[in-house]
Amino acid sequence: MAVKGKKKNLRLNSVSPGAEAVIYVILGLFALCCIIPFVFVIIISFSAESSIRSIGYSFIPQAWSTDAFRYAFRKLPQIWRSYFNSIFITVVGTALSTFMCALYAYVLYRPDFKFRGFFNFFSFFTMIFGGGLVPTYIVCKQVLGLNENYAALIVPLLVNPFNIIIMRTFFKSSVPLELIEAATIDGSGEYNTLFRVVAPIAKPGVATIALLNALVFWNDWYLSLLYIQRNKVLQPLQALLMELQNNVEYLSRMSGQMGAAAINEAAKMPTQSLRMVLVVLIVVPIACAYPFFQRYIVAGLSVGSVKG
Amino acid sequence: MKKILAMLLALVMVLGLAACGGGGDANQTSDANKPAENTPDTSGGNKQDDVPAASDLDPVTLRIWFHGSNVSPEASNKVMESVNAYLQDKINVTLEPIWGTWGDFDTATVTALAGGDDVDIYFTCNWSANEYNKYARDGYWVKLDDMLPTYGAELLTTIPEGIWECAKTNGYDGVGVYAVPALKDTATQNCWDLNATLLAELGYDVDAFIASASMNPDFYYSDEFEEALQKAKDYKGGDFYPLVGEPVVFERIATGTAIITGDLNGAPVLSYYYDVEHPATDIGSKIVCKYATPEFKKFAERTYYLSQKGFISPQTQNVDTANNYREACAKTGDYLISSQSYAFGCELDYSRERGIDVRMIPTDAPYMDATSGQGAMMAISATSKNPERALMFLNLLNTDPELMTLLNYGVEGYTYNKNADGTITFIDDVRATYSPWRNGMGNIRQLPPTAEEGLDYWDRFSAYYDSAEVLPYGSFILDASELSNEATALANVYGQYGFQLMGGATNPDTVLPEFLAKLEEAGIQKLLDAANEQLAAYLAG
Repeated sequence: MAVKGKKKNLRLNSVSPGAEAVIYVILGLFALCCIIPFVFVIIISFSAESSIRSIGYSFIPQAWSTDAFRYAFRKLPQIWRSYFNSIFITVVGTALSTFMCALYAYVLYRPDFKFRGFFNFFSFFTMIFGGGLVPTYIVCKQVLGLNENYAALIVPLLVNPFNIIIMRTFFKSSVPLELIEAATIDGSGEYNTLFRVVAPIAKPGVATIALLNALVFWNDWYLSLLYIQRNKVLQPLQALLMELQNNVEYLSRMSGQMGAAAINEAAKMPTQSLRMVLVVLIVVPIACAYPFFQRYIVAGLSVGSVKG
Repeated sequence: MKKILAMLLALVMVLGLAACGGGGDANQTSDANKPAENTPDTSGGNKQDDVPAASDLDPVTLRIWFHGSNVSPEASNKVMESVNAYLQDKINVTLEPIWGTWGDFDTATVTALAGGDDVDIYFTCNWSANEYNKYARDGYWVKLDDMLPTYGAELLTTIPEGIWECAKTNGYDGVGVYAVPALKDTATQNCWDLNATLLAELGYDVDAFIASASMNPDFYYSDEFEEALQKAKDYKGGDFYPLVGEPVVFERIATGTAIITGDLNGAPVLSYYYDVEHPATDIGSKIVCKYATPEFKKFAERTYYLSQKGFISPQTQNVDTANNYREACAKTGDYLISSQSYAFGCELDYSRERGIDVRMIPTDAPYMDATSGQGAMMAISATSKNPERALMFLNLLNTDPELMTLLNYGVEGYTYNKNADGTITFIDDVRATYSPWRNGMGNIRQLPPTAEEGLDYWDRFSAYYDSAEVLPYGSFILDASELSNEATALANVYGQYGFQLMGGATNPDTVLPEFLAKLEEAGIQKLLDAANEQLAAYLAG
């Protein structure tokens, strides 16, 4: 009895081994569900095309091959350029947009800012009403000159009201106003307060919106579709993949009307394993970014909580 | 107070944006008028001394948006160097191509057109999202009739009258030609696609089989058809489905009906019957409800019977899988009979690709209608600042073999090499990075034949397509835009019954009456009345 009680005390918040086992199994299955599709994609990317043709996608293909990878790296110079584009857009875009969102949110968080309510509503309003595709397109392309350049892939995504709200809430919950008052009393100027007092505390919040932003920039292909048509060297990797995917889908959808022409064109399209190669290339870098950001996000989860 | 101010400012922004959008559209329509108004003056001025020489022309940059391209930026730059050097000599034009791909063309061009982009020439046709007839109606294309005699004189004579006729549409500035049609595979011919290798393995005399099936409207209903499918099924085993294809095409082939351009998108409910042997013969031009005819009933019963026999895969009967399944079966040669809309010489390509002997069994004579005649066109955008020069460019592209070859096939020594006999051979690696959609560009009969095609390829090509007869309903195009409620309701009903019925998945004895009743409810009669009224008006001239 005593031993049992002691054991219990050693493991705080413990549940019975049975329940624990069930939870582990459920979590394990969930994790598996997340990983399996990716493993599957990798397997397909290494499958021989003949195997895909005869037995379809399979975890155990009839034959393995690295042809698709070799083709991708040797025959498609655009892949490397697109890789660079994606990384460039993601790095620059994430840095800029995180910086802008964090500053915007900081101002909204400061109660002594006179137009707080106004700017709060100003950003929030865009979450409810948008200008519509065509007006946005005209403004971006003809007024702002976001046309066939990197800016077209970065600027439209710079300010995200959702991130501003997250960041403002984060400031509110984890940066006590007293801290700013104390800094002011100690003679700290506004910039000093922001960069030396607030910024270090806000790191987890910044990391969260940076990760969200990075995902948005990395995954975006639509802007490229709209604004990058003549100068396709600027296409990011996602746009390249979407294009290949859409090409294949379009041709199979249109084959009823286009007849033989669609079939002839479809024969020129990259193989299925090649498309999977692109998926692998796209997923790997962003998957690598997760652990890096995760440190801050986990830290962020505990920052606001009561300690001790 | 502040809230109200914020609201106001936000409202101003939204309205401002909306006004921009509206402004764009308004410009669009007013611009659309411009060229038509301007042209009489300019053409009047130029009529005497014909088209001026290149040196007299101001340098102009033309942007042209192609469809279905597979062109890398690097290859494009390389080829454009030669194209532009050539064009500057001829008409003092610098060409800036936009190589739209199959996947992005629809979304990108529709946005660009709505946004009034600075593009001079767009690819258009009756199956892409920037649909020729609709966009002509809405004022996006420049009407060409007045400009053609001045700036496209050679073009007028190069493209046959029948194809110009197909390109006529009731557009923003009245009935006329709003785009230059491509002289390509401009005819439709329905065929049964036959796996001759398998048929021979089953012990058939392939030639005799084809001879008896060709142009035979009863082939689909014959014992011979069923027997061949049965033999293939027995020979290949239980999970082999010998009859593969798209049910919608089966229906057209087996009943001898043509597509009506403007029929509901993706949900055909109308039919036009024609004489399969002599398509030009008038057998009473009338548009009927596809599903209410005895021919359709016969077809649906037969298909259901064949399906019950296990000749049609459930994947063929599902609208989501039918196409992919057909492609997969075609690639591996796992079929006996399939459906095909013929393109000249396609059986050779297929035989090579599939590794079997593919033969075609024609079910009708080749014919021409709006669907085939408007298959690929080049329209001059209403936003173009130089519509005349754009037409001069299209004129040159369609009549100058050197330009067409440059733009379509690339530069000699870079994408292809010339052979001694006058044919060409592609340098496959480079050609893969520079392959525009050949048939989408214009008059492809000017191209040099490849070694595979053989020296007389284009002669045979032209002979085949020129023999095509124009259907009695000519280039009739249905405008159902005023019946959008009925169209939606009908498309829903079609989605529920149509495809399954044509694929033989459901029993027509019970389902067909139900289907027809629902169509009636959804307003098929209204659509039919409108269609026949428009057709009568069209035929009357």
